[in-house]
Amino acid sequence: MSDVDTASGTDRVRAALQAASGSISRTRLLLIPLLLFDLLVFVVPMGYLLRISFAKRSVGGGALQKGTWSFDGYQYLLDSSVVGTVFRWTLLFGVVATLLAVAIGTLYAYAAWRASGTTRTILLAGVVMSMFTTLVVKLFAARLMLSPEGAVNDTLLATGVLDGRLLLVNNEIGVLIGQLYIVLPYTVLAVYSVLTGLDEGLVEAANDLGATPVRAIREVVLPHAVPGMAVGGIIAFAWSAGAFAAPLLLGSASERTVAIEVQNLLGQFNYPGAAALAVVLTTVVLVVLALGIAWLRRRGGLRDV
Amino acid sequence: MGSVRTVVELDGVRVEYGELVAVRDLSLSVRDGELFCLLGPSGCGKTTTLRTIAGFESPDTGQVVLDGRTVTDLAPYARDCATVFQDWALFPNKTVIENVAFGQKMAGVGKTERREQARDHLETVEMGDYEDARPAELSGGQKQRIALARSLAVNPNVLLLDEPLSNLDKRLRETMQLEIKEIQERLDTPMVYVTHDQEEAFTLADRIGVMNDGRLVQVGDPETVYDDPVDQFVESFLGNSNFLSGRVVGSGTDRHDTARRAVTVEFPAVGAETQLSAANSLATGDEVTASVRPEIVELSPLSGGTAVSPDGGTPEADTTEQHNTDIEQGAGNRMALIGTVLDVVYRGSSIRYQVGVDTNESVELFVERSVARAPDLSAGDRVRLSWDITAVYYFGPDGARIRV
Repeated sequence: MSDVDTASGTDRVRAALQAASGSISRTRLLLIPLLLFDLLVFVVPMGYLLRISFAKRSVGGGALQKGTWSFDGYQYLLDSSVVGTVFRWTLLFGVVATLLAVAIGTLYAYAAWRASGTTRTILLAGVVMSMFTTLVVKLFAARLMLSPEGAVNDTLLATGVLDGRLLLVNNEIGVLIGQLYIVLPYTVLAVYSVLTGLDEGLVEAANDLGATPVRAIREVVLPHAVPGMAVGGIIAFAWSAGAFAAPLLLGSASERTVAIEVQNLLGQFNYPGAAALAVVLTTVVLVVLALGIAWLRRRGGLRDV
Repeated sequence: MGSVRTVVELDGVRVEYGELVAVRDLSLSVRDGELFCLLGPSGCGKTTTLRTIAGFESPDTGQVVLDGRTVTDLAPYARDCATVFQDWALFPNKTVIENVAFGQKMAGVGKTERREQARDHLETVEMGDYEDARPAELSGGQKQRIALARSLAVNPNVLLLDEPLSNLDKRLRETMQLEIKEIQERLDTPMVYVTHDQEEAFTLADRIGVMNDGRLVQVGDPETVYDDPVDQFVESFLGNSNFLSGRVVGSGTDRHDTARRAVTVEFPAVGAETQLSAANSLATGDEVTASVRPEIVELSPLSGGTAVSPDGGTPEADTTEQHNTDIEQGAGNRMALIGTVLDVVYRGSSIRYQVGVDTNESVELFVERSVARAPDLSAGDRVRLSWDITAVYYFGPDGARIRV
């Protein structure tokens, strides 16, 4: 009797497992811990932020009135004369930084890919090493280098490239350089990783068929690099649209980004306004990224004859 | 012959990679309309030679001349040649027709026109139905055809092929060899074809250049190279042969022509001696290698040698038994040996016999016969091997051919 029971028990388990694997495959089961982690560190805080953005501002003292519902935060954004300017500047800055990061990153990655031996190691180490230090230390170093009395200006003056000192900090140039310093390693590595999958023989074949080195890059290397450039671009844009440290340390009052404005609002105890601004920025970034990915999917890489 | 144009000329080309010398002072010329095979083992420098013609390697010394123009320092894209690569190197992001039209696109030919031309070239390689396919969707043989069409589409002065068929299976390789040959004859495009496969070279080539260790050892049409190898390397590379090592044991005058000097060479392994005339370069003690090609060896069952004769009759008296293993210098200058079949290997259309020689257990000779002509032998059978000694090739201590 017990034998039969055990057998039918095992069968039942097996049947249950089979049924389960019908709806959720085993691979998907493996994703569950990751999804839980995401839920904990992204979805829950974002939900909380969203909730705060719809809370009433407090009249005196506290940051917000708990348990209330209102459009105060969003209304503040519409009424404020600063927010619109800050938003436009942030998005423009994000786009410019992204385009530059992808362009420079792709060139750098291509150089590293074409180089061999020690040169390649040095180029890649240079990228990875800059990730070893924290953001603030890196940007302070950049500030020292770029300041009017800094190494960059000294060198340019000494070599006769310039006849006067350039202002490279406390303006948009400084912010851009600082931001590129942060995001470039990621775009370089993203593009380099896809280039490693490109057969150098294809570049030779293009040259053999009459393509100059530049045309071979356009016809063979770039189409292959597009996914890496897209990933690098997405990272660069998401990071630059939310830029905080670089504008704070290398910019002036006119280089104010959304992130800095959020910090300001928090300082003014306008929590619903700060949350609403953060929600709007996140939404805009997500929409831009979704459009970018959709465009890439539809395009499916460059192709033409 | 003097009026035939030279399309590729290499003059004293040397290519070094640091310490390694890949090509040593190599000179060759390829004539218009011919299919020239560079044949050699891997690492002999044949691919480097081809890449030097294409412009991917720049020679340390020497000149590359294409169609009368010195191109030694020109980049690959500025040379009028096209390469079919070993792994085909089709552009994965482009469709078949985009791949084939690529060269004309680079040359600035308009889209409609270059697509029209590309279609013609796809027809040439019988791939007209695949113009919108991606390379990843094609089989190896189809990729090979597209690579060929893509290179032909730039109307090159010379087409360079770097072991284009080595990634294909044997049957497909043989089909493609014939197709390439047919296309070559039809279009009359000169080709330089690199291969390590001597059968492929013999099938395709108008002329063969055999390479070894960065040098061009011998150039000639297939028959000449096969019938008249210049050295032991060529002899061993072009086909399987039986090599017997010997030593010069003395010198004197030729047995048949007393005016000529001759040396006596002993082949201890088979217990035989032979006299080589006109061998002035040889001194006593020099090592000599004899190549006995399997096709010159006659193989016959030794009746009477075995306990039971195949026809069940009385054992015949065999004259060769008396001579046993020594040279039979009698009629027609033949040498004969007695041995035992050690192994019979069926290789499909042919049968290969491995025979151990009585005089020396360590010496094995092999003979190959097509199945239709194969004697009915099995391992353990006693056999008689004989060959015409004038059909044997001899090589001196430096590997150079001794012409007798």
